Amino acid sequence: MKQASVGRDIALAVGAFALLAILPLVFPNKSLADFVVRLSAFAVFATSLNLLVGYAGMVSFGHGLFYGLGAYSFALMLQKLGLSVPLAFLLTMVFSALVALVIGAICIRLKEIYFSFLTLAFQMLLHSIIIAWTAVTGGDQGLTGGLPRPPFLGIRLDDPRHLYLFCCAIMIISLFVMWHLVRSPFGYTLRMIRDNPRRTAFLGVQVWRVRLLAFVVAGVFGAIGGALMSLFVSSAYPDFAYWTVSGEAVFMILLGGMSVFLGPTAGAAILLLLNDTVTKLTEHYSLVLGIVILLFALGLRKGLLGFLVEAWSKRGAQTSAPATASRH
Amino acid sequence: MDFQALLDCFSSASCVVTQTTGGLISGMLLFLVAAGLSLIFGTLKVVNFMHGSLYMLGAYFAYTIYNLTGSYALAVLGAALGVGLFALIFERFFMSRVYGSDVLMQLLVCYGFILILDDAVKIIWGAEFLSMGMPAAFQRPPFMLAGGIVPAFYLFLIVITLAIALALGYLITKTRMGKIVRAAAINPTMTSALGINTALVFGGVFALGGLLAGLAGALAVPVRSLVSGMGFSILIESFIVTVIGGMGSVAGALVGALLIGLVRSFGTIGFPLFTEGLMFVFMTIVLIVKPSGLFGKEL
Amino acid sequence: MLKIEDLRKSFGGVAATNGITLDFPQGSLSAVIGPNGAGKTTFFNLITGAFPPDAGRILLGGENIAGLSAPEIVRRGIGRAFQIASIFPSLTVRDAVLGAVNAHLHWHAKLARRFPLAEAAAQTDEVIELVNLQARANTLSGNLSHGEQKLLDIALALALDPKVLLLDEPTAGMGSEERWQMIETVYQLWQRKKMTLIFIEHDMDIVFKYAQTIRVLSYGSVLAEGNAEEVRRHPKVIEAYLGAHFETAKS
Ligand SMILES: Nc1ncnc2c1ncn2[C@@H]1O[C@H](COP(=O)(O)OP(=O)(O)O)[C@@H](O)[C@H]1O
Ligand SMILES: [Mg+2]
Repeated sequence: MKQASVGRDIALAVGAFALLAILPLVFPNKSLADFVVRLSAFAVFATSLNLLVGYAGMVSFGHGLFYGLGAYSFALMLQKLGLSVPLAFLLTMVFSALVALVIGAICIRLKEIYFSFLTLAFQMLLHSIIIAWTAVTGGDQGLTGGLPRPPFLGIRLDDPRHLYLFCCAIMIISLFVMWHLVRSPFGYTLRMIRDNPRRTAFLGVQVWRVRLLAFVVAGVFGAIGGALMSLFVSSAYPDFAYWTVSGEAVFMILLGGMSVFLGPTAGAAILLLLNDTVTKLTEHYSLVLGIVILLFALGLRKGLLGFLVEAWSKRGAQTSAPATASRH
Repeated sequence: MDFQALLDCFSSASCVVTQTTGGLISGMLLFLVAAGLSLIFGTLKVVNFMHGSLYMLGAYFAYTIYNLTGSYALAVLGAALGVGLFALIFERFFMSRVYGSDVLMQLLVCYGFILILDDAVKIIWGAEFLSMGMPAAFQRPPFMLAGGIVPAFYLFLIVITLAIALALGYLITKTRMGKIVRAAAINPTMTSALGINTALVFGGVFALGGLLAGLAGALAVPVRSLVSGMGFSILIESFIVTVIGGMGSVAGALVGALLIGLVRSFGTIGFPLFTEGLMFVFMTIVLIVKPSGLFGKEL
Repeated sequence: MLKIEDLRKSFGGVAATNGITLDFPQGSLSAVIGPNGAGKTTFFNLITGAFPPDAGRILLGGENIAGLSAPEIVRRGIGRAFQIASIFPSLTVRDAVLGAVNAHLHWHAKLARRFPLAEAAAQTDEVIELVNLQARANTLSGNLSHGEQKLLDIALALALDPKVLLLDEPTAGMGSEERWQMIETVYQLWQRKKMTLIFIEHDMDIVFKYAQTIRVLSYGSVLAEGNAEEVRRHPKVIEAYLGAHFETAKS
């Protein structure tokens, strides 16, 4: 029995944080630090989507809803309500959980493509609310005037170094919690539902309840991703809730490989790099991205990390699929 | 929320006429797009996520052809055929390669195409809003109905789309082709065993769906402005329409589209901030009461 | 233990189950037989809550469970395996059974702890051993042979330690030798666990050899019931045989 201890995982998480913390000391480069901060938002966001897509087999195409929701509710709580950062963070999580509960209750009743589209439709509803409700959201201009970020516990998020460490910490903690969840009995129930929901029901599992819980958990972490991004740009824009955000997240998890826990994080890093490189060269980022996506969809499918891990673990009999691949 | 405004509108015949015709034309355009989406889903069990882009292409094609030839009839015809052909190529060379794989890959291929087409439109036609204006043939004084204004083009649009709806209904329910399409939907392997070329049927249905979307785009040009990305909101609305009406049902698409058109039209008066939300409330109610849609058989 | 009273279900006018009344005593081993389309699988589906019956009662230890959802019924102690093995292709045999054992945990245990839970290990090992899949424990379920998948399906049902076990054609699609092996495995696990076991079977030799009581279904109704001898002599059953409806082997 390969019962990896929680202690070892905590040590890994702390180690990863330490590495990220000394990174700017070794490479004092502003764009590298910015990259990591943006990555923190997308890594958490894409991984949260993968809880649904990769582990539970629920192909949400509207996960950007929570990204936008997290960004706006967090930013508005700081700007309009003047809350402290930790409180705003906590309330953002609670609020997005409630929204996810309601939307999830409507969406999870539906199968496959209906589920995909309904989640997408709800995302576009949020987008149109953001555009229309100018008085609160600033409409298509987004929130103007910057976000107040009052210091707390000695952390001053106005200082880029503090912001960097804060985002890294939130990313590591979020990834750690999600890692724990996919390896909990709950995470295995998700895999069972993905593989065979009917059989799972005949094992005594109320499938809709588990799916709803997964939807809520993913929604909360998706919102955390959005909140991190709003912290970084010190604002929130309607684009955060636009459908392309969901599309990019789906592509991220496919790019990195959804059968490996860190696949979406790797995918996020690759896509961000691609974005940065292409936007430097041409203004037609969409065109390039579209072509890359087509090449990917019609060619290489397993994702980069998935491909590597599979090649590496082609030794034992028990290979492939998240069930075992994620154990490494 | 402005119930007073809504009540005022309902007590004035002219307002009712204006809003109703406005709702009807949005609804009929929406129907053309939604019917194609629904048809493709009904037959291929694939949701053409880039269906809105076909609508956009139709609009831009019509815009260009009209500016080149000055003939709106030619513009509509050219746009419909051009987009139909484009849809056929898309289906044969791209979509058909991911039928076997999961929904995710189908979504991804469509997603890639939406991005490419949106940017291509920007490159070819520019990123600004374009508008074509009313074709010469329809530049005539509007009809007056109970004090409400009904532009001539609106009337034309409603009549022609209704005719298409009837033709489509006839095609699906009465003709041999319709029977084949319905058979292919129920059991693709069986129909191919019977010597019917499923690839041809699938390509044909996609082309028909594209033709309808292109037609909708072309018919929308005189009354809508053109911009890259304009297809996405109509995609979402079409999806809502098919959920309300029932996937795969042409009659459902018609009823759903008209409902949405009218809800939006009167919604802008009564709930200016919540017009979009209204559609969702509507859809959610249908989903809860009858998950397969008003005219749908089963999910 | 399990009492069925006047159970009815029709699909669009076709009565798949047309008033079945049967009693399965605690710890009994019964076979349900009948031609294809007789309503045997529907009968199991009704008992396990795949869909609610149109009428009738299903009494499990005195409680009427008709109309409850599948998970609720499973939790009351009825496990089932399917006519076409229903498994989790991307999980290893061991993980699948562990997952099935875990299915009964409380929420806090599911969220707060790591899979697999130590207390699930003993039950998992026992179940895997009951169906003789020890050697395949670390194989992906999707890579198992047909027969092994049928065994795993049974193991999943056993993971819940059911009071009543329903096996829908455990030997379907097997060669003669494999079939006897399978039924022997089933028989032995029944002897060890002493649950109420009901299996659907087409092979009459197997049925007559193993079943204590046999229930013959035809057109959704009980045609005959009794032990091997009684059923063999039953005029209606003979008639059904001669009517050539009986399939003794399914391809
Ligand atoms: N879910 C269902 N929907 C419609 N008809 C069904 C369904 N399940 C079974 N039937 C019908 O009920 C009858 C009995 O089927 P079934 O119980 O599978 O028979 P058996 O298992 O004895 O071969 C058949 O006519 C079958 O077509
Ligand atoms: Mg059967």
